[in-house]
Amino acid sequence: MYNTLIRNILRFVILLIVQVLAFDNLHLANYIHLNIYVLFVLLLPFDTPQWRLMIDGFLIGMAVDIFNGTPGLHAAATVFMAFIRPFIIGITTRKSDLEGKNAPTITEMGLQWFMIYGLLLILLHNLVYFWLEAFSIKLLGIVLIETLLSSIVSLLIIILIIYVFKPVKK
Amino acid sequence: MYNLFIFIRKHGSVILFILLEILCLIMIVYSLPYQNRRMVSFSNRVAGGFNRTTSNWSDYLHLKSENESLAEQNALLLKQLGCDEVEADTVYYDDVFSYIPAHVVNNSIYNLNNYIVIDKGSIDGIGPDMGVICEKGVVGKVVNVSKHFASVMSLLNSYSVISCRFVDNQYVANVVWDNQNYRYGLVKDIPSHLIINKGDTLVTSGFSNSFPADVLVGTIEDSKDADNEMFSTAKMKFTTNFSTLRHVFVVKNNYKSEIDSLCITH
Repeated sequence: MYNTLIRNILRFVILLIVQVLAFDNLHLANYIHLNIYVLFVLLLPFDTPQWRLMIDGFLIGMAVDIFNGTPGLHAAATVFMAFIRPFIIGITTRKSDLEGKNAPTITEMGLQWFMIYGLLLILLHNLVYFWLEAFSIKLLGIVLIETLLSSIVSLLIIILIIYVFKPVKK
Repeated sequence: MYNLFIFIRKHGSVILFILLEILCLIMIVYSLPYQNRRMVSFSNRVAGGFNRTTSNWSDYLHLKSENESLAEQNALLLKQLGCDEVEADTVYYDDVFSYIPAHVVNNSIYNLNNYIVIDKGSIDGIGPDMGVICEKGVVGKVVNVSKHFASVMSLLNSYSVISCRFVDNQYVANVVWDNQNYRYGLVKDIPSHLIINKGDTLVTSGFSNSFPADVLVGTIEDSKDADNEMFSTAKMKFTTNFSTLRHVFVVKNNYKSEIDSLCITH
């Protein structure tokens, strides 16, 4: 119990620092902005209630916002993503699959499932993020391109991060 | 009352979702430029110090190129003055405009609306609507000021419009940004009969109180397309390189209030 809590707090702080110091300054091509901190919401345990997901998502989104000077932008996208997470888990798994599973990680659920789950949620997060950033229907084309490219690259980097920091099996 | 509890229990997460999203949207709307600058100022206070620290570190990586550009700038200024000794002062004057040097602590170029944060604020005499330039050309306009920091709306912003003039023939046009590439902008409202060529230079018109006349803005990159019978649009390359921006000057118009008082319609 405490173990999970401490691990999540550490994950929150580390992802926040990495996002603000590195990924917010890293721009690939013209359209790609990487939001790596969503990994925090992706990896919260299965038994986290929906309201906790949203509060946690709001907190990390708002923290990223404060460092970027964009109040509400990341928070809105992350809250939306946290709200939709239980539905995405619902449509990608069967009840029996989840027995004895703690958290939606690659180790427990397999790479293939995690890629579908991650891509769907990151796509939705980025769609809300880029659309709110543009704040206009005129720029829909650019928003869609940004969303698609950024989501795919984000997912690849997130999977890379997971493999690099994967705990060693005893 | 009991039914209300049942309702909240049943739909609690949906209600929380809607509340949180409304909260976020309110914050976003209130932080849009020209509508409310308070949230940005809050963020400036919190993040300004943090950004200054990271900027202090990252500056070491750019020391060499920075030295070169400063030397270049010094040479240019000395040439303008036509003398070898300049009185050491951080602020130098011409008649109407004074220039306050500042350091960029946060910069974005890939968003749809880009802002720059500089390390000079209201105690250094900076106020909203002042122009910001660098040695290569125009940078943007100050939109919001806190005590020690100011945020600048760069030319790379959907809301940015700069009045400028062709050097060759003195015709006036407007420069905007098309949200695509940080090196290129659009010149709008060019009279259709005007023949423009690649490489034509644009400078500020001096019609706004924010910028002195004849500061470089950009050069024409691509021939024009006609919007309608009257005006056409052309692609332009900014002379300012927004991705390597480090040192800027805030332009302070010493007669701004006097000019503004004349502009009030009776």
